[in-house]
Amino acid sequence: MLHRLIAAIFFTALMLMSLSTASAQSVRPPANAVNQPDSEQERVGTSNTLGTQSQSDYWRALRHGKSGISTTGRNDGLLIQSQGEDWRLIRKQYILKYSGWVLVGVIALLVLFFLIRGRIRLKGGRSGKTISRFSLAHRTAHWFMASVFIMLAISGLLILLGRIALAPLIGKGAYAIMASAAMQGHNLFGPLFIIALIWLVWLFIPGNFLKMVDLKWLAKGGGLIGGHASAGHYNFGEKVWFWFVVIGGLAISVTGILLEFPWLVENLLFLQLSTIVHGIAAVGLIAFALGHIYIGTLGMEGALDSMTTGDVDINWAIEHHDLWYEEVTGKPINKSGEDSDDDSPGHAQVYTQSRS
Amino acid sequence: MSFLKFVEEPLFYFAAAVFLIGALWRVIGIIRIGRKPDLAPAKGSGTAGFIAGNLRHFVPRNIFAKRTWIHIIGGYGFHFGLFALLLFAAPHIKFFDERILGISWPALPRWGFIIAAQFAFAGLIMLWVRRFSDPVMRLIADWDDHISSWLTFLVMLTGCLALQESHDILKAIHMLFVDVWLIYFPFSRLMHAVTFFLSRGYTGATYGRKGMTL
Amino acid sequence: MSAVAKKAVDKFLEVIDADVAAFAESCVHCGECAEACHFYIATKDPKYTPTYKLFPLVKAYKRHKAPLSGIKKMLGLVPAEVTEEELREWEPLVYDSCTMCGRCTLVCPMGIDIAGTIRKMREGYVAAEIVPEGLMAAAVNAERTGSPMGVTLKALSAQIKHQEDETGIPVEIDKKGADYMALLSSMEIMGFPEIIGAYSKLFKQAGLTWTISSKAFEATNVGVQIGSGKMAKMLVQRVVDAAEELEVKHVISPECGHAYGALRWAGPNMIGREFSFKVVHIIELLDQLRSEGRIPAGDKDTRRMTLHDPCQIIRRGGLLAEPRRLLDDSCSDFVEMEGAGIANLCCGGGGGVSANPRAEELQLAAFAQKLKQINDIGGVEAVVVPCANCRTVFEDGLDELEADFEVIGLGELVAETLAAK
Repeated sequence: MLHRLIAAIFFTALMLMSLSTASAQSVRPPANAVNQPDSEQERVGTSNTLGTQSQSDYWRALRHGKSGISTTGRNDGLLIQSQGEDWRLIRKQYILKYSGWVLVGVIALLVLFFLIRGRIRLKGGRSGKTISRFSLAHRTAHWFMASVFIMLAISGLLILLGRIALAPLIGKGAYAIMASAAMQGHNLFGPLFIIALIWLVWLFIPGNFLKMVDLKWLAKGGGLIGGHASAGHYNFGEKVWFWFVVIGGLAISVTGILLEFPWLVENLLFLQLSTIVHGIAAVGLIAFALGHIYIGTLGMEGALDSMTTGDVDINWAIEHHDLWYEEVTGKPINKSGEDSDDDSPGHAQVYTQSRS
Repeated sequence: MSFLKFVEEPLFYFAAAVFLIGALWRVIGIIRIGRKPDLAPAKGSGTAGFIAGNLRHFVPRNIFAKRTWIHIIGGYGFHFGLFALLLFAAPHIKFFDERILGISWPALPRWGFIIAAQFAFAGLIMLWVRRFSDPVMRLIADWDDHISSWLTFLVMLTGCLALQESHDILKAIHMLFVDVWLIYFPFSRLMHAVTFFLSRGYTGATYGRKGMTL
Repeated sequence: MSAVAKKAVDKFLEVIDADVAAFAESCVHCGECAEACHFYIATKDPKYTPTYKLFPLVKAYKRHKAPLSGIKKMLGLVPAEVTEEELREWEPLVYDSCTMCGRCTLVCPMGIDIAGTIRKMREGYVAAEIVPEGLMAAAVNAERTGSPMGVTLKALSAQIKHQEDETGIPVEIDKKGADYMALLSSMEIMGFPEIIGAYSKLFKQAGLTWTISSKAFEATNVGVQIGSGKMAKMLVQRVVDAAEELEVKHVISPECGHAYGALRWAGPNMIGREFSFKVVHIIELLDQLRSEGRIPAGDKDTRRMTLHDPCQIIRRGGLLAEPRRLLDDSCSDFVEMEGAGIANLCCGGGGGVSANPRAEELQLAAFAQKLKQINDIGGVEAVVVPCANCRTVFEDGLDELEADFEVIGLGELVAETLAAK
């Protein structure tokens, strides 16, 4: 039954994709676009970036030279902003050129890591006993953020890289449709990201401040070099991710608000900077998120449980967050890695590997 | 016939017919199952209880609200947002006016539409996330719940994607999902939008006859 | 489908009326009912989610009786047939983990009466003869003697004699034409017989005539608890016949949970006609007598007290204000527990659960929540519990959990704080 439904949706989507190119002729300019005769425009008073002044008159005046032209709208009297050219070049030569490859590179690194290191398994196997790690509130906040983030990431990448990466493949007409859709979606969900961020930070900040033990963890490469590395509720890697989300998320939120409500700033420079910061922070967050998703699903056995059921296997807790385990259960773990509660049933082989 | 015309006209009329006939059939079917008259002397009015029950269950009780706040915020956010955007967004009013009712009414300003949509999305996503995170909901949820949630989400999402109102194809995709949703409605749990007044009412009537103030 | 399952499913379909159909069509699987159920709260086990307990009934409805089920069946979109295995798997959920307290009904955003539907679902279980042993034994007793504990007229007479000696007031049996015929629950007769003496004092003070029928003195309706409409009807008929034979004007339902609902609200529907007498709960009667000035209050009890709201009397019975008015007059240091009133927690033992030894551990876990409510008040010396079954649950529970305060009935308290002549 379900597979029939999925097939139906897939088929419909394919059908629509092919239709999209055919109906390119049905594109209408947005309601507030500026394609009316001057007299009509003055009469109707359509708003555009310069208020009600006709743009075509304006540019004619600039090109052919005419005195006595005045603008309404921007008070800085700026007609041509030369930094705009710098901005355009930065965007073209750095951001557009490299951001796609950054993401491709991250994916390649993850694939490489998986091929070399494989899935990080539980050395002691699953014990079958669990302890609670994340409450329902934590999990709801996390998945709410994840859903919103994924939608923003996809729409955002379409906006950023679509013209250079996608349009050549599907044609400009089809891309125009996707860009319109992406822009609307991105703008609507943007504010939800801010709410999700506040909620997420509020719930996850306890336990995420850096401590000495985190540096020791880092020195051991998180356990990749030199055996077991102790960690509390969150290890160094997780803390870095958290603070990256805080800072990157804050940057993206502030710049996003400016980009959605450009009248909040007088100087065009702020908006230009915003696009650059927004783009860089976004690509950074997406790159890091790819790693986060990898580790949480494929990369580490037993990790996903913490965010689905909220409960983790005891062996997972002992191997990866031993200090947290001790704090929560009150049971100190002895040197061989077993916790002191040896006579509990179902307590199978706990991690007992010596440093080899 | 263009794709847009197809989904806005023949398919829409078909879907609307399935929706109306199906919903009516189901409601009348429930009422027709009937109930035996109550012979015990009533202490209060059953009819008043029917209405009171419907109104009272809109307000979560203090003692329970503490435990289910995510659900209440998400639920109300979603339903109010959806109600606002469905009935008071300009493009929707235009559609109702031109194709169904022939009358128009004042619309929300565009920013009001957007905010209502944001509440609706936030609420729906929160509720669906809870559905797979909370052990209780995981146990009792079935495919109908998930499809209803996703279908409603896709209707809303395709609507959002068409907000620039520049491309007919985006509008058409939205309308297609609306049509599918309308057809799915009477066969699914989405019917709660109609049956809730019966279930609240019947329980309210029972309380009313016992003279209970809710 | 096995023969056993078929009996259950046929009965399910028979008891599903428009109410239950509306409920089955409206549940959106939100899970809020779990948050109201004391069994879920005590164990955090999702299987105790109230709507989950109804799944077999809803499955049968959706397959056979729901509107549009015909079309859906053709497309293979209806649930599978209910199996005997499923019914047996659900038995502990339907009987051990539900007291039909109705808290779930209160919280449900769709107003679904889950508690009442469990009552109807149990009919299917009785038809299929899948019933917990303890309850079965109580049912057998009730059929034989009228009492779920097998209390006979002889035992009752002994208790009555004892109370007559204590109070010096005679109790008349089978008095024709009395104003009131009192019913008693077996729990009261064996465990708290002081109530009989209390009635004597109160009714003498109020100047009304009353009697106990030798043929129908039992209030507890096991039929309702176990889910046998047939037995419930038989027990009600017994009372109706006796009351009409004695030509009494009222029948008093005592401080017992389901008895009131069974006689007052369900009774006439069970026997198919209206009664020629009125049914009144003892608390209702005392409240009425007090407001008429016929049982004026005297010195108040000074102990720190709180009230447990028996589910079937307050939430499901409608008597929210009456016990509180009586308590205002009877005690000087009355404190409500948090969550008191219409949404109060169940004691954990009603609806047949206390008669079911298999459910003992679960019941105790649920009772622990009630105990917490009382302990949170601080300094409580006595709890007023106007239901004999709840009282037994309390006494057993307090013993297990080693808590230390008195449990008293309301009628007794009112009798003790009557103004001296």
